Amino acid sequence: MLKSILLLIFLSFCIGTGAWLFFLYAVKKGEFDDIEGPKYRMLEDDDLDEQDRES
Amino acid sequence: MADGTPFSCIHCGDQFPAEALVSETINGQHLKFCCHGCRGAYLIIRDAGLDSFYQRKDRSAGTLKAAFDSRFDDQYLDQFVRPALDGEEISLILDGIRCASCVWLIERLLKKCSGILSARVNFATHRILISFCRKQISPAEICRNLAAIGYLPRPYSQNELQRSVESEMRGLMIRFGTAVFLSMQLMGFSLALYAGYFQGIDPQTRHLLQYFAAIVTTPVVFYSGFPFIRGAWHSLRNQQPNMDLLIALGVLSAYSYSLYALLVGGEVYFDTAAMIITLILAGRLFESGARRKASAGIDRLLKLVPTQAFRQEDGDWREVDSQQLQPGDLIRIKPGERVPVDGIIEIGITEVDEAAVSGEPLPVIKNVGDQIVSGTLNLTGVVEVLVSSAANDSFVARIARIVEEAQTNKAPIQRLADRLAAIFIPLVLLIAGATFWIWFNEEHALLHAVTVLVVACPCALGLATPTAVMVATGRAAERGVLFRGGDVLETAASITLLAFDKTGTLTSGSPEITSIKADNISADEFLRLLASAEMSSQHPLAQGILIEAEKRNLALEAPLSSKTIPGRGIVVALARQQLTAGSRLFLQQQGIALPAEESSGQSEVHLAEEGKYLGYVTMADQLRPDARQLLKSIRRMEYRTLLLTGDRQDVAERICQTLQIDTFFAGQTPEDKATRIMERSGSGVRVMMIGDGINDAPALSQADIGCAIAGSTDIAVESADLILTQPKLMNLAFALKLSHFTMRVIKQNLLWAFSYNLIAIPLAASGQLAPVYGAAAMAVSSICVLTNSLRIKRKDFGPC
Repeated sequence: MLKSILLLIFLSFCIGTGAWLFFLYAVKKGEFDDIEGPKYRMLEDDDLDEQDRES
Repeated sequence: MADGTPFSCIHCGDQFPAEALVSETINGQHLKFCCHGCRGAYLIIRDAGLDSFYQRKDRSAGTLKAAFDSRFDDQYLDQFVRPALDGEEISLILDGIRCASCVWLIERLLKKCSGILSARVNFATHRILISFCRKQISPAEICRNLAAIGYLPRPYSQNELQRSVESEMRGLMIRFGTAVFLSMQLMGFSLALYAGYFQGIDPQTRHLLQYFAAIVTTPVVFYSGFPFIRGAWHSLRNQQPNMDLLIALGVLSAYSYSLYALLVGGEVYFDTAAMIITLILAGRLFESGARRKASAGIDRLLKLVPTQAFRQEDGDWREVDSQQLQPGDLIRIKPGERVPVDGIIEIGITEVDEAAVSGEPLPVIKNVGDQIVSGTLNLTGVVEVLVSSAANDSFVARIARIVEEAQTNKAPIQRLADRLAAIFIPLVLLIAGATFWIWFNEEHALLHAVTVLVVACPCALGLATPTAVMVATGRAAERGVLFRGGDVLETAASITLLAFDKTGTLTSGSPEITSIKADNISADEFLRLLASAEMSSQHPLAQGILIEAEKRNLALEAPLSSKTIPGRGIVVALARQQLTAGSRLFLQQQGIALPAEESSGQSEVHLAEEGKYLGYVTMADQLRPDARQLLKSIRRMEYRTLLLTGDRQDVAERICQTLQIDTFFAGQTPEDKATRIMERSGSGVRVMMIGDGINDAPALSQADIGCAIAGSTDIAVESADLILTQPKLMNLAFALKLSHFTMRVIKQNLLWAFSYNLIAIPLAASGQLAPVYGAAAMAVSSICVLTNSLRIKRKDFGPC
């Protein structure tokens, strides 16, 4: 009983840590610096360069 | 226009050969475009009712390369280049980014340059990060490429303040994220422990869970909660108890009590400590987000001043950087250009649009010997100006300095929660001390004392303000009302005097037709002819006439040729007749017989066809449609009102009478306005200034709250604490009502939190309160506070 609890706690801790590390990485990389631009950016439909489109 | 480029595009202003011509007929106007892209853009702008873009557009802005060559030199720019993973990096700030298409264009252009590895524009901060390969392209070349498409770059170097603000923001984000992650883990353990308390739990498991809870809580308290602990330390040293101290006190006592319980056995309350920190961090993050835009303001003002000028050197006109201009230099300013520095006209006569500086919409005629102010727009004639002050001593630069000074001198607002904390903390400490003293000879003296601290912990107290502010700013933002920070929301509720600017704030800022007096022909036909005559004019009166013609859907006739006489009028040849339009005096000078004058006190535009008088229109800067309604609801809320205007006495008086404004001051300079505000603030009077122009900026930053309205100049927006992003004055009434209601909710929240404390503290002090019930009551009290704050979201404020 206790064993399975320990295992589950450990697992949830790992998942949580993973999410936390990803969050840290995102903040450091500046993902949250510009929260205004992306909503406009997604409306640009010509993101593919000419070469990309051909390949 | 000779040498094979006979047309210039109405949208982009470029000249192009006849074979590329794309034409379009709108309302009888034949418009020429250089490509379908420009035609499309023009139609979109026009359909959106933004034609005024074409008058505002600084036609000379197509950048003059030579002027910038000296500005972008590699030696200077190299200081800002950093080595990066695969080449070099440089950060630039770009002037002129307005919309997402700008971002698109810039990124696209740079990607096409060889040697540029990546370019990313930050839309919110107007910053661009470029990584490039030094061998293929130099920084100066990058800047020149950007300038060539009309975005003036300057190297971005953070000053200490900006850097600390930025890193603080990121730090806060990381602290919050960490707290959320750990609190989520903690919640699992706590839930199990609470369930165990009521249903029974194996002591070994319980102990294990308590240890886990202690492990995840420790970083929340000491890492995520560090800002509070530091703030508490500062407040202790300054002997000014504030909210931080209260939070730190509650959190630390709950934490240390739990640690103690962990060692000697008993219930732990780690979750209380962690939750307080997480929730209050969330509130702080939200508030600082609203404040973030406030930087870079003073910088952007200088955009009103052109960066290059034509200076006379050895009998020749040369382009120079306007920063290099010195008193005594002679410069030439063409129509459509802005004045770079203050000066006195040497040769020429022109009309100058001073709207950006004085707020007055009608142009002023400037003759030889007249003073001409930097930042104003030259409308009609070429003038040669003797520079009277250097660029950083000119009008615009002076205003920027005043604003900066007023902002740094502004006393920080003491928030309600902090004021209460100052009374509450000593009280709680006193009770805890007394508890300890009373129980001193008993076994659990220390435990009881700590319990007092735990139950007095500011859970609901700490949430009272941030949650209400969060909901209120969110609701306001939906209406286009931006509060720059929660303290602004609180202060807005204590405002007693509203000071208004006139032009552009209470009035629309552009002249509109008030009456048409046509002899012998219909009003529509008269207006059609008049609008056709004024079609090519940049004059604000002409624009007002064109707007009215547009409203009535009149088909205009494009003139074959026209001749403008600055400050007087225009002579136009249409296909069938010649028209003369302008002031009374101008028509008389042209030998046209006019009927006797009736003074209306308004601007008049007269029209004659082939020397035969047709009639005239009167024009005035009209009140905004909802100005009356606003003043009415403000009176109902019992505010005192004040009008500050640069306009004449009689105009101000008339406006005050129609709107029933208490007092007014006419003929005010920007400095005067700030002084009037200063005189009135203090001694229980809190002033809000509502304005839009550069001339209002000092007053806006001087007032307890500055409010800028849609269409304001950048500097006004940056000096303001409250921004109405839509041209609806009634949103101001909404903002005031919202702030009053929010303040009421905050007070209710605080009252609730205190009455909870009032019951719990005596119980705890007498040793009657089992801490687990204390914690449960605390949770209930927090939920009550949250629910109460959510009421702001649905509150009906009546018609506004």
